[in-house]
Amino acid sequence: MLSQKEVERLHYGLLSHIQLKGDGDAEALRALSNKFILRNVHSGDTLWDLDSESGDLHFILEGTFAEYLKRGTQSFILRFYRPGKFAFSEDLLLYSKHSDTFAKALSSAKVASLPSVHFQNALRQGGLGVKLMEVLINLSMTEYRNTTYEMLQTSGTNRIHAALEQFPDLLHLIPRRELADYLGISRASLFRSLKEIGHE
Amino acid sequence: MNSGEKAAMRTYFESLPVYSAYFDEAIDAVIAAMDSGIRAEKGRVLVELGATNKDFWFLKDGFLKEMYRSPYAKEDTLFNMIPPSSIFVNEDTLFANQRPQHYFTAYTSVEILRLKEEDYMRLLQQYPVVINLLYLSGTAEIQKSRRARLNMLRMNKTPDRIEWVRQQRRELYHIMDRITLAQYIGVSRASLYRAFEKNIKYQF
Repeated sequence: MLSQKEVERLHYGLLSHIQLKGDGDAEALRALSNKFILRNVHSGDTLWDLDSESGDLHFILEGTFAEYLKRGTQSFILRFYRPGKFAFSEDLLLYSKHSDTFAKALSSAKVASLPSVHFQNALRQGGLGVKLMEVLINLSMTEYRNTTYEMLQTSGTNRIHAALEQFPDLLHLIPRRELADYLGISRASLFRSLKEIGHE
Repeated sequence: MNSGEKAAMRTYFESLPVYSAYFDEAIDAVIAAMDSGIRAEKGRVLVELGATNKDFWFLKDGFLKEMYRSPYAKEDTLFNMIPPSSIFVNEDTLFANQRPQHYFTAYTSVEILRLKEEDYMRLLQQYPVVINLLYLSGTAEIQKSRRARLNMLRMNKTPDRIEWVRQQRRELYHIMDRITLAQYIGVSRASLYRAFEKNIKYQF
């Protein structure tokens, strides 16, 4: 169960993304907020796996998560999820297909999760469910766009600057080896760039 | 729209994974609501996608450059190359009601078709399930493509990135000049030229 304070935080988070029209929408949003379940996640635990079958919608209350994409035998960080943000497998939740990604907690975390069945019910009822779906698609599109900005920087230093703009605590979230993979630069180049900007 | 334009739109919808014959009535209605082709010569900025434009656009023929202002570059920078048979929109305007941060330039001469926002809203009322599914499926394709490109942009060797474009974005590889290719794969021109010098198979 979520505490009243957590429900409020979640409700406020949903409100900041969804444009409500009329009392009906407001009531539906309140009802939906109450269907979220609180989960405590330990550092290193997953929020969803490659073999997860149902796509739950998560709202991060505390802690940070990384979503990894499997490429061959290796996994690379695709994006980060921080407090106040939605986290979900777009494959599972939006496209009802097998997930190509998994999400792992980088620190101890607290998450409010909406089980897939409630999300699908809201979607079937139209109205708020459809709005929520649109919001999630738009958020996802925007995140990819922002991450692409980082990756289009040709110098390691600019990539780090662009990444830090999105995630100011990035340097403390993941080991340097993973950071180099995330930024698409060699470890040597990462250390040179960090030195250049006075972080090493 | 003429028969060629209608056929191009129908081919696009039928290529979406979600497509089935059940969608045909709604697809016919979408096609009937679309504007005839707008042509733009190479180099022209598509001013049709102005600051408040929330229409849906379909690139029937030609290639578009999607440009943005990078805080780290002196000039506007390439964000993406859009190949024929693609949907594109003002994302900032449509998703966040903000001024667009991107604009589109014809890389070759192009022909584009438009579904106006008001027509989209009307069709959404008329066929809510089908239009939502088409929207979702179209978006899913764009997402997949962005995710794959991000994966490429994280490869830390320039030749690997070039190879990815050669294999996965063949039509772009053949149309892009070297400066555009360097921007598309996020490397400096010098780095691209070094990779080309080392490997003869990348030659255009």
